[in-house]
Amino acid sequence: MSAHKKKSITADELRRKLKVKHLAQKAKLSAKYPKVERFFKERGIEPEKIREHSAKILGAGAITGALLLSPPEAIRVLPAPQELVNKLKSGESSIALKTPQELLVETLSPALPEKPRPLTRDEEKYLEQLFKNIIGVDVRATLQGEHLNTTYGNIGTEQHLMRYPGDTIWEHRFGDNLVEGMAPGLGAWGYFAPSRAAMSKELEEIEKWYVVVQTLYLPDWNRRQPYLKNWYKYRKVLIVNTQNGNAVVASIADSGPAAWTGKHFGGSPEVMQYLGGSRYKKGPVIVFFVDDPENEVPLGPVDYNIISLPEIALHEI
Amino acid sequence: MSKIFYDHLIVLEEVEAEIKNSAQTEEERHELWQLVDEIVHSKVLEFLLDRLPGVHHNEFLEKFHAAPYDERLIDYLEEKIGENIEELLKEEIGGLAYEILDEIRN
Repeated sequence: MSAHKKKSITADELRRKLKVKHLAQKAKLSAKYPKVERFFKERGIEPEKIREHSAKILGAGAITGALLLSPPEAIRVLPAPQELVNKLKSGESSIALKTPQELLVETLSPALPEKPRPLTRDEEKYLEQLFKNIIGVDVRATLQGEHLNTTYGNIGTEQHLMRYPGDTIWEHRFGDNLVEGMAPGLGAWGYFAPSRAAMSKELEEIEKWYVVVQTLYLPDWNRRQPYLKNWYKYRKVLIVNTQNGNAVVASIADSGPAAWTGKHFGGSPEVMQYLGGSRYKKGPVIVFFVDDPENEVPLGPVDYNIISLPEIALHEI
Repeated sequence: MSKIFYDHLIVLEEVEAEIKNSAQTEEERHELWQLVDEIVHSKVLEFLLDRLPGVHHNEFLEKFHAAPYDERLIDYLEEKIGENIEELLKEEIGGLAYEILDEIRN
């Protein structure tokens, strides 16, 4: 938990131990079921590389909503996002006493599948409109042709990132945010600045409000370098906690988490604190790219109960 | 997108923490994650084939190869095996996590 947790094993030792375990497990499977290796080899696939194979199929567009996902029936019966906003503004009795955030949570509930999974294009389009109309941020699930592995998944708490050589956890204090510590390694894009003197307010904000996404599992990640690495660096996203409607604009500053963690995204201590409070460690969120060509949308919490629909404040009074 | 039908059942947070504490670069982290991914995959296949009657092995492998991401494979397996595969797999992976951590730490 702490940044200063003792390092019990080096990366080289860990690699060696995991390789031994990997070879032993692979040999066990081959001895018991030689047909498995044969089956995949005949099809040109290493049995352990099934994730790459899956990514290729999905990336090639072989998948349709009908194959992987339940049909988005819920979307068809939901009210249009603009209709909801009009009702709010007109003070229609059934929803006039609700805040935009309450309305968002109530609308999200039937619109989303029970368990996080990749959303269909129709589902994503509906949510883009909903967020634009209620939260007031212009977002896209697909921006400039790029799309995340999934836009609906579990987010988990990350540690602070080292911003420059010699950075310490104590330099990250913005209130009670130090408990997660600082990651011993660097983020996917290395240091944010070459020295403390070279740090800017903008870079401070990026580390403070950073998010981790699974770029490493993108089907074309290795093939489209360095373009993709540059495209994703500090890319702004809107994160919406689907359980309480809290929303934060964050910046992509690391890659992960691993596929076998039960998480699809990671949030800085500040992001997680805002999304769910100090005890919030993991939960479902939606992550969309912010369409912000002029770099006008600030990083940090989006208090849309105040800024999006000022008329509602009058109803609350 | 990258997905295997059993991903949602695999939670190895302590192993992830060990890797985070050891890896200094993104490349190191990814290499170690990949090794764990491959260990998990071999283990899951062994576990499933141990329980699935041999007569269905080829059919399962064909389905898995055609759509490794399809969570309906769980339904298929539960129907053929007649047990709650999700729960059993979670238990098995819990055991694997223990094994990996034990080997890493000793």
